[in-house]
Amino acid sequence: MDTTGSNGTAPTAADAGGTEAKRGVLQRLYTGTGAFDIVGKRKYWYVILGALMLVSALFVGIKGFNLSIEFEGGTNISMPAQGASGQITTTEVENSFQEVLGSEPSSVQLVGSGGSQTVQINTEKLSQAELVKVKSALFEDLRPLGTNGQPSADAISDSAVSGTWGSEITQQALIALAVFLVLVTVFLAFYFERWMAVGALVALLHDVLVTAGIYSMVGFQVSPSTVIGLLTILGFSLYDTVVVFDKVKENTSGLLSTTRRTYPEAANLAVNQSLMRSINTSVIALLPVLGLLVVGAGLLGVGVLRDLALVQGVGMLAGVLSSLLLATPLLVDLKMRESKYRAHAEKVAQRRRNRDGEGSTTVNGAGTDADSVESARPARDGTGGAKLAGAGAANAGAGAARPSGKAGRRSSGRKRR
Amino acid sequence: MAPPRGQIRPARYLLAFVVILLGIYSLVFFTGDRKPVPELGIDLQGGTRVTLTARTPSGEPPTDESLQQAREIIEQRVNGLGVSGSEVTIDGTNLVITVPGKDGEQAKRLGQTAELNLRKVSQVVPVSALQGNQPGQGNQPGQGDQSGQGDQSGQGADSSGSEEQQSSGTTPQWAAAPAQQPSDQQRPDGQSQSGGGDQQNGDQQDSESQTRAERIQQAKQLRQSEEPAMQRQALLTLDCDAPDPLRGNADPKLPLVTCGDDGQRKYILEPVLIPGTQISDATSSPPGQRKAEWTVNLEFKNQGTKTWADFTSQNVGEQVAFVLDNQVVSAPSINSAIVGGNTSIEGSFNQETANNLANTLKYGALPLAFDQSTAETVSPTLGVASLQAALLAGGIGLILVAVYCLFYYRLLGLLTILSLVLSGAVVYGVLVLFGRWIGFTLDLPGMAGFIIAIGITADSFIVFFERLKDEIREGRTFRSAVPRSWARARRTILSADAVSFLAAGVLYLLAVGQVKGFAFTLGMSTVLDLIVVFLVTHPLVALASRSKFLSRPGLTGLGAVQRMGERARAQRKGVNRQQSASNGTPKEA
Repeated sequence: MDTTGSNGTAPTAADAGGTEAKRGVLQRLYTGTGAFDIVGKRKYWYVILGALMLVSALFVGIKGFNLSIEFEGGTNISMPAQGASGQITTTEVENSFQEVLGSEPSSVQLVGSGGSQTVQINTEKLSQAELVKVKSALFEDLRPLGTNGQPSADAISDSAVSGTWGSEITQQALIALAVFLVLVTVFLAFYFERWMAVGALVALLHDVLVTAGIYSMVGFQVSPSTVIGLLTILGFSLYDTVVVFDKVKENTSGLLSTTRRTYPEAANLAVNQSLMRSINTSVIALLPVLGLLVVGAGLLGVGVLRDLALVQGVGMLAGVLSSLLLATPLLVDLKMRESKYRAHAEKVAQRRRNRDGEGSTTVNGAGTDADSVESARPARDGTGGAKLAGAGAANAGAGAARPSGKAGRRSSGRKRR
Repeated sequence: MAPPRGQIRPARYLLAFVVILLGIYSLVFFTGDRKPVPELGIDLQGGTRVTLTARTPSGEPPTDESLQQAREIIEQRVNGLGVSGSEVTIDGTNLVITVPGKDGEQAKRLGQTAELNLRKVSQVVPVSALQGNQPGQGNQPGQGDQSGQGDQSGQGADSSGSEEQQSSGTTPQWAAAPAQQPSDQQRPDGQSQSGGGDQQNGDQQDSESQTRAERIQQAKQLRQSEEPAMQRQALLTLDCDAPDPLRGNADPKLPLVTCGDDGQRKYILEPVLIPGTQISDATSSPPGQRKAEWTVNLEFKNQGTKTWADFTSQNVGEQVAFVLDNQVVSAPSINSAIVGGNTSIEGSFNQETANNLANTLKYGALPLAFDQSTAETVSPTLGVASLQAALLAGGIGLILVAVYCLFYYRLLGLLTILSLVLSGAVVYGVLVLFGRWIGFTLDLPGMAGFIIAIGITADSFIVFFERLKDEIREGRTFRSAVPRSWARARRTILSADAVSFLAAGVLYLLAVGQVKGFAFTLGMSTVLDLIVVFLVTHPLVALASRSKFLSRPGLTGLGAVQRMGERARAQRKGVNRQQSASNGTPKEA
């Protein structure tokens, strides 16, 4: 992740333990002391993710997708690549196809590996009679081995798809998508609040677009399974966002009645506290997907498993990025358009200025709190302002044996119910 | 929860879970077929799946009613294939035919044949009369030795050659065979038979299609014979409740012995007079001034009109049968010569029956036109490979998750794994039950759904554990942190799972095609995940937190945050400037 990016600015004198100099980032991640100024650097994320979305949109618009047979219509015949007389070659298949129908198949490929290797033949749509002829010819000529290691005509699979099917499924999927978005918006609006719903939806949009873009860029094949997979990513992406926002909500309840933190800081604290969870979740969610990919793409080389795994993998990565780097920063920006939050931030700043004047920085880890007030403001303590109070991040610059950050942690308002 | 604030009695929860688990598995093992295996989709066991998409002339979506009607008709046809476990389901505006095993190639034609023909009736006999075996009804008792042919399906009784005179009972009993063959009536193959006594084949015969072809051949010989003796023979042996091998295979140029669609009458019919394709339109009209009953009006195309005019003028008083999929749906008598092509059929119709007949006549067989969107045959080889691959993928995924959890959470990771395993056990049991109760079949996308759901399930644990760390970091002990962090995590878990479930639910209801299985398993896992988190994970963590041994930092992997927590505590005791109001000074013991 980009945490290393912020690491540059993160204080390494850091953590209370004092032993963390080497393991700074990991340790801070693990203990959730975060101190990554994510909200403060939101301009960067906007630019980066915005660019990503733009590039994706361009690719989708210009290059389009590599669509599977379901969108084109046609017939696919597949059989094990092991025949009675050893490995079946594509040439053999082409010849035998040619003999029967007098035409070439559009493509013949060997996919997968080892015992699961299959021959995939794609052609124009064949009539039932043609199909039967081809299948029996393939069996006669090549004798593919069935499950029991004996040549078997039943080892040959086929699927014929009309040219409209793919678009039909896609249309249905898009309807489902629209309904889902509406429901989710309602849900979020009730559960959280207006701006959170907006932030979550933008993050969602990002995920869909970037996933589509990556598919277009790399040229992965898009099948109806892919479209389905894309829809389920939305669930996952939102799920991630919901967890982060839950934390934000908790950290910012009653915020206006204190001058402890500005909204951006509280939100950033929430992101930091959810950071490890997000990473963990994503890793854990990705591991099974990885298993699917290894098997689906590596062993089988074709089919539903591969399609689903691929799209889930790509989408989850995009989802994690957006829920951490996009949803919350966006929420903050939206919130800060409200005058009361701006006024509040000003109050907090005012108070800190007063206090800085006194020079006492012992209370409440304020020193750390202040760092991320507004990214626009240069950091006051010269350590790069990336420290985020909450988690008891080091009270940088203090070098004190008794870093005061701890207290800051406790003041995060988490006590509220 | 009587114990002190926020404390729970873990044993109760765990007990509840055990009860649920036992409940599920006792249902699995003591009800239904008692086999602890879920229903597998054809992509995992091999078979044929055909998706037919309804097309209406107007482009409007078809009505549910007409879809339902079409489904029933196609289902009858599918049953005619005699493969157990076949089904026809409605999916959006599609019909999905699934035929497991190797005999499904035929299914690819079912949605397209619209087989309606008009044949003149030469004889009609009520089934009941035949069962009474009264002479004079066109059945000639006696010598008819039909050995090797009269195998009535479902009866198991080999009635070949029996046809004795003692009437009742020994002649084949037509009502004996259920039409929707249950799979327990499989008989060894090689017993081809005739007279519609179609055997229910399972899917284990090797030369399945061979025997099918033979069955058709034999049925043809018997039921499409031109010799009156043979026809009467056929009339006798014909089983109106068994699947008809001639469905879609009858020769139009030959006579036909067949049943009425109500199973109450048998007919001997002449060769096809007018094919159904010559019918241009059919409508039903309500009772009016001239007709006291509902009627069905029929129009023929040019060729048909001519044939019809000639025929009706020569056959006033005779009956003509509308034969749909080899069954007589209606056999009205001809009252007068009909020359204009406009024909009205009168009978004791009500609105529904008139509509049905009109639809039948108009659309041939189906009330809708269907395009074949997909037709796939999955070889058993590929099915097995897919199943293995999915299991392998799931196994790899689980192991990776387990290793990661152990590495990261140590003892808590162990609880995670235990929870996942239990979750898996619940899911599997429910899957088996759903397969039994609502015919849910597990297909490849469904398996992928489960695999993906591992992440969502594990995530609930992580939300909880990360909260736990938050609390401990704040200075709580492991023990006192559990109830507080659970209260917080619970909310998050519920709302996050709600979103996840919403996504799955919407997909399940709205999307078509293979996504259904995927959405179903994903949604199901989400719900079951909640059960496990609430009843297992949380109580177990609570138990662990109360045990001196188990909550050692080295075991829980919470060392670092615990140290921080201690420092936080020390600090509070030390420089205790007034903390902010919001500061949760723990009220630890």
